[in-house]
Amino acid sequence: MAGKHGQLSLPGGTASGHFAHLWRARSFAFVIAYLALTFFLARSSLAVQGLALVAAVFGILAISLDLVAGMLGLYSLGQGGFFAIGAYLTTIVAADTQVSVFWLLPVVLVVTGLSGAIIGAMSLRVSGLYFAITTFVFTLVLTVLATDLPITGGLQGLLGPAFPDLPEALAPLGTPVVWCVMLALLVAIGLVWNIRRSPLYPVLLAIRDAEPFAEAAGVRTGLVKVGVFGLSAAMAGSAGWLFSFLGVVSPGQFDWSVSLNILVMVLVGGINTTLGPIVGASFVTMFPAVVNIDPWLQEILYGALSIIAITVFPEGVVGLLKRQFAAVFKAPTAGREATGSSETSRADTASQQPETSREGGPAAEAIVECRGIGFSYGQGPKVLRNVDLVVKRGHIHGLIGPNGSGKSTLANIIAGRLRPQAGTTHVKGVLVDRLAPSERAGLGLRRTFQAAQLVRELPTSRNVLVGLYGRVPGLVRRAAVWTLLPSAARDSASMQFRAEQALREVGAGDWIDSRVGDVPHGIEQLTQLASVGVAAPEIIVLDEPATGLSISEVDHLARLLGQLKARGVTMIIIEHQTRFLFPLCDQVTVLNAGEVVLTGTADEVRANPVVRQIYLGE
Amino acid sequence: MTSARAPALEISALFAGYARFDVVRDIAFRVDEGEAVALLGPNGAGKTTVLRAIMGLVKHRRGTIRVGEADISALSPYRIARGLAAIAPEGRRLFLDQSVEDNLILGAFHLRHDKDRVRALLESVYGLFPVLREYRRRRSSFLSGGEQQMVAIGRMLMSDPEVMLLDEPSDALSPVAVDSVVKALLELRKQGASLLLVEQRVDVAIRLCDRLYIMTNGEIVDEMSPETVRRGGLGIINKYLG
Amino acid sequence: MLQLLLSGLAIGSIYGLIGMALAISFYVTRVINFAQGQMMMIAIMIVSALTAAGCSPWLAVVAGLLSACAVAILSYVLAVRPILAFDRFSFGWLVSTLGFAVVVENAAAYVWGPTSRAFPPILNATSVHISTAVLTEQQLLAIATAAVLTAGFEVVRKRTLFGKLGMAIAADPEMASAIGANTTAVAIVAFSISGLFSGVAGVLIGPSTFANPYLGDTFGTYGFIAMMIGGGTEKPAAAMFGGLLLGVMSEGANTLINSQASDWFPFVVLVVILIVSPRGLFSSGSLLRRLRPALLAR
Repeated sequence: MAGKHGQLSLPGGTASGHFAHLWRARSFAFVIAYLALTFFLARSSLAVQGLALVAAVFGILAISLDLVAGMLGLYSLGQGGFFAIGAYLTTIVAADTQVSVFWLLPVVLVVTGLSGAIIGAMSLRVSGLYFAITTFVFTLVLTVLATDLPITGGLQGLLGPAFPDLPEALAPLGTPVVWCVMLALLVAIGLVWNIRRSPLYPVLLAIRDAEPFAEAAGVRTGLVKVGVFGLSAAMAGSAGWLFSFLGVVSPGQFDWSVSLNILVMVLVGGINTTLGPIVGASFVTMFPAVVNIDPWLQEILYGALSIIAITVFPEGVVGLLKRQFAAVFKAPTAGREATGSSETSRADTASQQPETSREGGPAAEAIVECRGIGFSYGQGPKVLRNVDLVVKRGHIHGLIGPNGSGKSTLANIIAGRLRPQAGTTHVKGVLVDRLAPSERAGLGLRRTFQAAQLVRELPTSRNVLVGLYGRVPGLVRRAAVWTLLPSAARDSASMQFRAEQALREVGAGDWIDSRVGDVPHGIEQLTQLASVGVAAPEIIVLDEPATGLSISEVDHLARLLGQLKARGVTMIIIEHQTRFLFPLCDQVTVLNAGEVVLTGTADEVRANPVVRQIYLGE
Repeated sequence: MTSARAPALEISALFAGYARFDVVRDIAFRVDEGEAVALLGPNGAGKTTVLRAIMGLVKHRRGTIRVGEADISALSPYRIARGLAAIAPEGRRLFLDQSVEDNLILGAFHLRHDKDRVRALLESVYGLFPVLREYRRRRSSFLSGGEQQMVAIGRMLMSDPEVMLLDEPSDALSPVAVDSVVKALLELRKQGASLLLVEQRVDVAIRLCDRLYIMTNGEIVDEMSPETVRRGGLGIINKYLG
Repeated sequence: MLQLLLSGLAIGSIYGLIGMALAISFYVTRVINFAQGQMMMIAIMIVSALTAAGCSPWLAVVAGLLSACAVAILSYVLAVRPILAFDRFSFGWLVSTLGFAVVVENAAAYVWGPTSRAFPPILNATSVHISTAVLTEQQLLAIATAAVLTAGFEVVRKRTLFGKLGMAIAADPEMASAIGANTTAVAIVAFSISGLFSGVAGVLIGPSTFANPYLGDTFGTYGFIAMMIGGGTEKPAAAMFGGLLLGVMSEGANTLINSQASDWFPFVVLVVILIVSPRGLFSSGSLLRRLRPALLAR
């Protein structure tokens, strides 16, 4: 099962060689087999159908949870709630009006999608465990409403609508509701499969593992989280719509234990895999039917099995299979020999220009201007006091100072991660104080982090891809149907090519397919640099880029920065290693205890007695 | 008369890091009893990893680590902390919601049944850092950086270890605070303590230590004496540190 | 009014004890033990079974409390510790503690059947008049026990060396191990204390609920809400205050709105509190603390 469907690491839809055709053939085969299975089920006995349909509905629920939990790292216990909304809405409206059930589907999608977006917005305020708890409470509240409101039929619940029959001609296909449910599941699988193969996938993982990195690359992480959450809720709502055709809709079927069970399905089946959630859903729903013993003993066995499964295989069944067969079914590394796609794509033409048009201003124009910056963390002491920093276009401007002088804080203020209590910051003449890091990226400002923020489980090239986020239009829009669009294939190829080229330019060409978790520290830093450089920025803020590099790596870095400067890129570099920094800089600002001591050329700074005393420790 | 006593700390063929990737490779050195040895190097060279590996805090390590007569290569941290080695880690990592004295007493946790010894150790810590006696009941989060560093060193002393590990004791301290820390460590040396020091500040290291090892990129690349450094000027070190 | 308050405090004591039990195990391991309610249930079932077999009630109570502790330790060993060994995994304990809860609950149902059984009344038979209110002695016992246990816990946590070690582990488990703390041993002790608290809650409420293997779910949920309201994830004693608040509000809703209201009113309260102060009322950085800066200096 592991190799049959493209769950393994696959370069985003690279359209090169016969490998792509091989994967397409496999997908085609999968779809045919799936349809055959559906046909078989639609003509089976009611008992078998009942079992399969419940498993399929929960499969959709599990996939919807995996979307937010596996890819975004937002563990939600709210799927039960959206499931309930979908089912109850369908049942109540279908009973009270004469509307065809098919019109109710878009209504359900919109309602659950919107409520999902609202809940998702709460994830921006609280994260991790507390977010899970908030969603858990959401489901609790809905269950209680469903039990106590008269319209929902109380504990007994309501009888769901009947699914309309197929027209005479299609009758041999079997039970219509089976086709509906199975096709819905196929759509859900397809949706997730497409997202996994689109450039949106590394972006989602970046939001999960390295949110500051995604933000600095121009991703509006809050919006993406809310959007994906809404999508997942809509999917769960559609599962509710489907479920209403299967019989009675009562509160006990949507309570918090159901939400928990869905999470169990995802974790046991394999989180962040395409088929894992379905495997998990099948296991959990079919277990009582397959293991037909005393009900209590059955539950005990189920509980014991889930404990064993999660303690022995924390990555889930499918995750384990993937790992075992990874060597055998390793996806084609089509990128290595790539000389690039000869077809032009929107991505190519859009990105040859720097991110924003470069006005031909005077060479000594101030491109970054900080005036009177004052900052403290909470009620604490002032970290920055009346700091002025003016960086000229095309310059390399160094920022040095002892530990605790406020250098990193200033860099974070320029990049937008921190908001100063006093003072203003202008980038290219634009007042940026109210702009988030992602918006500043849109102005052509990028940054690197002292401790590299990257997605460890993805290859370096995929991480660099995140840097291209803002440069390819319609990434998010097209993600759900990515593999079906020819334009998308071209964009994938071109993005992959540019990412690999960026990596080669910084000297990490040998590590293009290596997972970030497996590469040495120096290569991680170079990957960071490549992810910034690939977007052709105008300004780069580098936070201690030489950290942990060997002598030769530091020299290599100096050369790279020199090359960037030759292309007209402005750089602000925070560093300790003055031997590396001074030869590069046009200007150096010295900070001490939150105040600017001196701004001047490297020689002026080096010779200044005050600086020598406080910084070089003599 | 050469004493045949085992060195306070002896490391050979140490590899440590993550499951797939070693951060430090083939590390070998020793600290004799009463000696102070420094590990110098740029950020990311792996110096902190060496200290953490000695304390057992790095899961993936192989090689031999001996403290005195004991082989600690496979011991859990809490066993190592019971009188063999003790660490004053990077960032100090005091238990901030507890008082100075509580932090110190916790340092002597493995000696808790010997109340007299704990009291004596506490007295010696207050003797070394009189200002802590004054602040003994104060919540540690309310101390300055220098004072917190004193508590961290005191907490390390309280376990009466055979070898003491210090990770960048001068980090983020004002020159005055650094000076008092160095003076306290010199006093400790006079009392015969064995120290392994990780530092970025060369001047602190040459004041305190008998020998300096230089680390870059996960390996030890050179060994020097403070005299060599003084004679050759800081320029020698800059060759390695940038 | 007074009746409402006192009855609320009585049931709130139960919720608070379970909330504290959850908070204590969370404090040391950062794991929410879904099987907490089941520990309470086991204590109740053991007491019921032993007294039915002719044992003296007090002996049965001791046995019940010990069983709860045993189940707690078992839950740590089987469902929590193996997960914590995988340092990369964030929510696996959700599955394993839930699985453990399922096993315990259904094992109890298998052994003792699903219907309610008798439970010795202990102090439930006699009532006491306090001004306009009437409480059973059992309810008074609940309030008194909760007060004593909460105060005792705080004293141990802050004044004893072991308590300070616990605080150290909660704050920085790695550093705690680097000063000689055997985190596994401490975790086992913490879990047994949480088992004890749950067991006590069971013995206190048993006379009112009778012995039923499915009690764990409801009370576990209430205990969880109590912990979240109070902010017990940061400070276990706060869970007791959350429980008392929850108890009073439930009684209030029951009396003042209608008898169904105690179903949904607590959740509304919880939602409101979570919106205002996501980590609970007494957590650091919450509204209450900002209004009373003196509290911070503790």
